[in-house]
Amino acid sequence: MMAYIVRRLLATIPVMAIVGVFVFMLLHLTPGDPAAIIAGDNATPANIAAIRNRLGLDRPLHEQFLTWVWATVRGDLGISMFSNLPVTKLVLQRAEPTIALTTTTLIVAVSIAITVGVLAAWKAGSLLDRVVMAFAVMGFSVPVFVVGYLLVYFFSVKLRWLPVQGYVSIDQGLWPCLRNLILPSIALGLAYVALIARITRASMLEVLAEDYIRTANAKGVATGSVLMKHALKNAAVPIVTVIGIGVALLISGVVITESVFNIPGVGRLVVDAIARRDYPIIQGVMIIFSGVYVLVNLAVDIIYTFLDPRIRY
Amino acid sequence: MKKISRRTAIKGALAAGASTAVLAKVAIHSRPALAQGMKQIRMVPHADLRVLDPIWTTANVSAYHGAMIYDTLFAYDGNLQPQPQMVGRHGVSDDKKTYTFELRPGLKFHDGTAVTSKDCVASLRRWAARDGAGQHMMQRVNDITAPDDKTIKIDLKEPYGLIYEALAKTSTPLCYMMKEEVAKTDPNTQITKHIGCGPFKFVESEYRPGSRVVYDKNPDYVPRSEPASGIAGGKVVKIDRVIWDVMPDAQTAASALINGEIDFFEVPPIDIIPTLESAKGVKIEVLNKLGNVGYCRLNFLHPPFNNVKARQAAQLAVSQEDFLQAAIGNSKYYQTCGSHFTCGSPMGVEDGGEIFKMPMAQRQAKARELLKESGYDGKPVIVLHATDIHVMNQAAQVIAQNLRQIGMNVQLAASDWGGVVTRRSIKVPPEAGGWNVFFTWGGGNATSSPINLFAHAATGESAWFGWPSNALHEQLRNEWAAAPSLEARREVARRMNKNMIDYVHDIKTGQWVGPVAYRADRIKGILPVPEILPWWNVERIG
Repeated sequence: MMAYIVRRLLATIPVMAIVGVFVFMLLHLTPGDPAAIIAGDNATPANIAAIRNRLGLDRPLHEQFLTWVWATVRGDLGISMFSNLPVTKLVLQRAEPTIALTTTTLIVAVSIAITVGVLAAWKAGSLLDRVVMAFAVMGFSVPVFVVGYLLVYFFSVKLRWLPVQGYVSIDQGLWPCLRNLILPSIALGLAYVALIARITRASMLEVLAEDYIRTANAKGVATGSVLMKHALKNAAVPIVTVIGIGVALLISGVVITESVFNIPGVGRLVVDAIARRDYPIIQGVMIIFSGVYVLVNLAVDIIYTFLDPRIRY
Repeated sequence: MKKISRRTAIKGALAAGASTAVLAKVAIHSRPALAQGMKQIRMVPHADLRVLDPIWTTANVSAYHGAMIYDTLFAYDGNLQPQPQMVGRHGVSDDKKTYTFELRPGLKFHDGTAVTSKDCVASLRRWAARDGAGQHMMQRVNDITAPDDKTIKIDLKEPYGLIYEALAKTSTPLCYMMKEEVAKTDPNTQITKHIGCGPFKFVESEYRPGSRVVYDKNPDYVPRSEPASGIAGGKVVKIDRVIWDVMPDAQTAASALINGEIDFFEVPPIDIIPTLESAKGVKIEVLNKLGNVGYCRLNFLHPPFNNVKARQAAQLAVSQEDFLQAAIGNSKYYQTCGSHFTCGSPMGVEDGGEIFKMPMAQRQAKARELLKESGYDGKPVIVLHATDIHVMNQAAQVIAQNLRQIGMNVQLAASDWGGVVTRRSIKVPPEAGGWNVFFTWGGGNATSSPINLFAHAATGESAWFGWPSNALHEQLRNEWAAAPSLEARREVARRMNKNMIDYVHDIKTGQWVGPVAYRADRIKGILPVPEILPWWNVERIG
């Protein structure tokens, strides 16, 4: 297992390298000159040229690429073209809200989705099942920002139960922190709940039709035990796979959710950077996001071995 | 192969979780304590503060930052008249070639050191290297010196009537005073130290680019004794702290204002105004009465707009009313204008603008004639189209349609604003990646001066994008700068406006104002200033 983990970790290097090449090329081939944006609307062509020179944007592309690769390998993600602050510092400043939002969403969404998925499978064809499936379709169909605005309208503006926006650090208390995360987590987690609930239901239905489940029922094993210990454990591999894949969904959703709820996280950092063509930030955050995604998938592969003893690497 | 037990895996997972938590804690190592009992105001500015050097950039939000932490030698009052600000006694020699300013007592930088004339001389030089009005002034300056710690002397080669106006202006970049060591930074490089001398102190430890900017009251600031007016007069700070919350989503900011989470929202979109107007405690007010002026720039370097008749045709074809209705929508906030110098400003003359009052059908008929006379061959006219900014998006589509109506073969080149600002600087022919038309807007205050706005220059390839060229215009600009009185300047502006309409410097698309929204049940005393948002004089009342 250890050798497998090391192998997989080493395999992330070429993956990250490919991501790096793609991100760099896409950015530099996209129209838009950060120097012109930095210079402002009243800048002269000479001002823009001076900024381009200072940022090294007038150097050949391959030279810029090699400089960036060498710095990234040394752990230096560069300096923001606009704020002149190190990208690492900017990302770390924004890490806490994003980690808090995604972790809360992940925990709440997975708990709810698996519960309703199991219940829907257990009561397949019932009203409960139909309601769960209708909810799942809705969760997929309604964009995150629409859910966000509706939640804000009802729970913040009309009922005044929860704040409209912002993030409060956990340093300032668990409840103030959670209070600000409730609405964003619901908005962000809806599609995720829908995805996992559907897969849980489908996977559970397959397992519930197996002979050993019938045998367990015939032996008089309690329903809860049949569902959770016998069925869910054997249905877990596809569910875990989808949870892992869904992290990408979560990352893209974070970008929108952070804008709608004004959460100063990494998602907003990268959206702002894209609008301004702040190459070092975009490149740095993309590398970090892809690294997280690769590691999540590695974790999923490892979890398989615990869920299904037949899987060995 | 060594197996990993479940227990080991769980331990590993816990360790990973703990590491994440530690990482998050590292990220927030400098998190500030809550400001308990402080009189603070939370506001949402129109943009994020990315550049902290208000001399290096022309971004308005950086000028706002400058107004918080720096001060100026002179400043415009509420009637747009320059008044002394950091300066006490001042005068000009009989031959009008030597200006002398004496700093008023008690001026200090935020690090406790006194403001000296050497600081001001270095600041003036750096500002003048970046600013259009500064450059225009420096062409006539022999030297700027500091004969002693309190005195600044400007020696001119010839009399120049715009010294006070240039030093007092509120259009970006403003002439902010910095410490000498900071002001000696190359004008093309951003400053890295932010030691102000103004009424607020920048709290650098709480600065989060893209999210939050914090200013605390400067207790050592010595305000003038006159009442605050414009950005002149006594800058008396009545609150402890101002927090700028950057919110990219206007709907979120509006909801936060209604919910009382913020006190001030600088640029609520016009379509959200009715909702805000009906919200309890929220007031809508126009602070910047000169607002914004829209204009589309034509590329003078390439056909068809290298021909004055084609430019005149386009000028007649573009309807201000069509644009304003599409982009702004509510006639309460917009007006058509036949002046190149902002209607409502002292220079807002409309000589030559009669053509815009002709019925549209007549204008279009005349435009078709002119286009034919220009020899336009039907080649595609490339209109740069920024799709990510509402006003820009609407403008490009309206302009394109207006030009099509007179027989131009228009192609919209869609991109985001970042793409437009890149492409507009390209001088090659449109078919090779250049352009023919793009739309933008400027502050009404900056536009009102023939000198302050770089886009007013008609110096050919060294002018602003579009590169207009007109010798008479440049001669009139110099004449305007040398004019001895406001009335004399207005007279020159009349001739200038007529000439600009004749050779079609650019096409003005009308004016509009952006109302702000704030909690009138919580704050009062916001000063109406064009292009700057002052927070002195503002009180917390609830």
